[in-house]
Amino acid sequence: MSTTWLPCGTYHQNYVHDHAWWQTKFIKAKMILLLIILFVIIPLVADSYGLSILNLVGYTILGAIGVQLLIGFCGQITLGHAAFIAVGAYTSTLLILEFPWPKILMDWGLAYPISILIAAIVSGAWSVLFGLPCARVKGFYLILTTMAAQFITVDFIITGYVSQIGGRGQAFSLPPGTIKIGPWVIDSDLKVYFVMLVLVIVCVIGVLNLIRSRVGRAWIAIRDNDISAEVMGINVIKYKLLAFYVAGFIGGVAGAFWISNLAAISPEHFPWFWSLWLVGVILIGGVGSIHGTIFGSVFMVVVMEMLQLAVIPLADIYPKLLVDFLFIKEAVFGLAICVFMIFEPNGLAYRWWQMKNYFNLWPFSY
Amino acid sequence: MFGKNMCSKIFVVIFTVALFVGFSSMAGAAKINVGALNDMTGATSDVGKDYALGIAEAIHYVNDNGGVNGKEIKLYQFDYGYRVPEALTKYKLFKRLKCVAVLGWGTGDTEALSPTITKDKIPYVSASYSAHLTDPKKTPYNLFFATDYSTNARAAITAWFDKKWPKHKDFGKRKPRLVCSYMFASPYSSAPIKAIKDQATLLGFDIGPDQSVSLFAIDTKSQVLAMKDFKPDLVWHGNTVMSVAATVRDAYALGLGADHIANNWGFDENLPKLAGEAAEGVMGASVCAFFGENVPMMDKVVEYAKKYNPGIPLEKRSVHTVQGWGDVLILWEALKRADKAGGLSGENILKNGFETMKNFDIGLGAAPVNFTATDHRVAGIVPIYEVKDGKFQIVEKVDLKSRWPKKWADEWLGW
Repeated sequence: MSTTWLPCGTYHQNYVHDHAWWQTKFIKAKMILLLIILFVIIPLVADSYGLSILNLVGYTILGAIGVQLLIGFCGQITLGHAAFIAVGAYTSTLLILEFPWPKILMDWGLAYPISILIAAIVSGAWSVLFGLPCARVKGFYLILTTMAAQFITVDFIITGYVSQIGGRGQAFSLPPGTIKIGPWVIDSDLKVYFVMLVLVIVCVIGVLNLIRSRVGRAWIAIRDNDISAEVMGINVIKYKLLAFYVAGFIGGVAGAFWISNLAAISPEHFPWFWSLWLVGVILIGGVGSIHGTIFGSVFMVVVMEMLQLAVIPLADIYPKLLVDFLFIKEAVFGLAICVFMIFEPNGLAYRWWQMKNYFNLWPFSY
Repeated sequence: MFGKNMCSKIFVVIFTVALFVGFSSMAGAAKINVGALNDMTGATSDVGKDYALGIAEAIHYVNDNGGVNGKEIKLYQFDYGYRVPEALTKYKLFKRLKCVAVLGWGTGDTEALSPTITKDKIPYVSASYSAHLTDPKKTPYNLFFATDYSTNARAAITAWFDKKWPKHKDFGKRKPRLVCSYMFASPYSSAPIKAIKDQATLLGFDIGPDQSVSLFAIDTKSQVLAMKDFKPDLVWHGNTVMSVAATVRDAYALGLGADHIANNWGFDENLPKLAGEAAEGVMGASVCAFFGENVPMMDKVVEYAKKYNPGIPLEKRSVHTVQGWGDVLILWEALKRADKAGGLSGENILKNGFETMKNFDIGLGAAPVNFTATDHRVAGIVPIYEVKDGKFQIVEKVDLKSRWPKKWADEWLGW
């Protein structure tokens, strides 16, 4: 670790420095502070509503990381990611409700954690299936094949067949006490928040590590120019499918997390619009940046909710403001994408980078 | 540059002040807060807009008539676009706003929120009449003023079997044939399917393969052609009115030759307007009188529609406005009773409010409301209507409770 507190440039002396997670003591201190805020301060000050908003931010991040990986790092455009989230949610739910778990695993509260892992693996495999056309097609054609994932998976298979398992009709409800991790029954927004934090941190660290490895460099090479990447000896199909697998895997984690938040699912929870929304999240956050995914998710969920809270008092004067708020929100979503595409195509992540540079170079930031 | 900076500053100041006032207004809660989730832009907005208007107008009426024992109701009404994540965050916001009850909308989100509201003990009066919400052992805090979808569908099939099938040329020669047309993915559309097939089996129908028709459908020819292979005598439609009108129109154009019955959200004043002569003879259950009919309280419904939404012509209003009033009126009564009996906790509203209603008449042409601690089905009698010359005519009032008393009491609750 560098002994410099505030480096005004990049002065790495070896590759270990270059790839270190926390490159200076100051960054380490900032990260520890962030963890304290996330794990201690927010749970102490936030109420149920605040935590539920943060849980939705976490769900959006988990969903959008896979989209970011495919579009932002591997250049494979996807518009069917909600299908893979649905596969994860249904796999986890069915494992909890239908699988004859050994008593010891139930007693130790391992059924749900194991179901998250299996859901992620199944969802990853399902994603690879719909990623196969990427061997032959790209661009707009790939968009159509990924959209097919939504209609085949959610509208046909899950609705027509999976939802009928156990004769429950369309909606699955998880009885109280079934979502349990170790001794803790996940039955409050606070507990869901901690599950979300752990899953988001694990997934973000996992993906960041993958990106700085050989696999990540191969993905970026494919994104920048797939023919050149192939000429350099990269097995393009293998790495594209690997990207689909990892994206589906994290989508599966997102789906399995979602059931802890609501304890009920139906096919309506995974509309095609959600895939589009996730693409909007990475466009606003910044394509090709993992922390852009986080910024985009925070922007799309928290800023919209803040805007709504700001609107509530105005509704006393003009009551239709509340009813029309969703319309305003949709318009803001569309407008935000247009504005970012025109004025800040690199998204919020680029703004963040500029802000960091400003403070790193302060007071001589010219 | 100066102008741009000034604009940003002014925006930030306005935003901060609005937020501050917003949080402050939440803190001081002298009124009784009630939340409402409505769909005005989503998959069911074709019927949801009118229902939402009915909710807002009915709350004005309640406040003009003394509120809850002198306390005014403050309504927080949001459009959630028929999206479950949006419904979840709005519900949490209602909790933060200390809403004593919620007026909900769709089956998907109402059923999804059901475990949460049971835990939170917040009465949830929905526009979803799914029978899954009628068993207090499973969903004690879910309530609605109307007969449920399963009861309505059982009654409509029975009415067709009683009145139409005996006039058919094949009566006595073979079994009648039934097909269901609905959006498989929608919990709303698919909620009564099990009950429909049970009732059809009970009456001796042959049941054909279900047809999946989207709530957004504008062309359903492929599904109608698939139905033709089975030659149904009766088609049950489970979607909302735009989709039902598209299917009925295509069935007419392609000469399907079957009669139609529709769930109540697909059976309103817009059906004859959208489907024209194809809508003639379509039957369905209506949980209350149609807009403007001569029944008690309808004068108030019309008066408040004129007063608060004068820009919407009365001929464009529908039965869904009346349904909105129905849900508000039972909530009002429950709140008044609970308030007198000790307070507006969720448990008190349920036990000393809703569950004390015995044959409570809200007017509006709706069945008298009954809730007990063991059964949240409001009634067993369902009026079945038919479209004749673009108007709705009553065909029969089917009394399921008297006709199959044992099944009603022991078997049919909760599905």
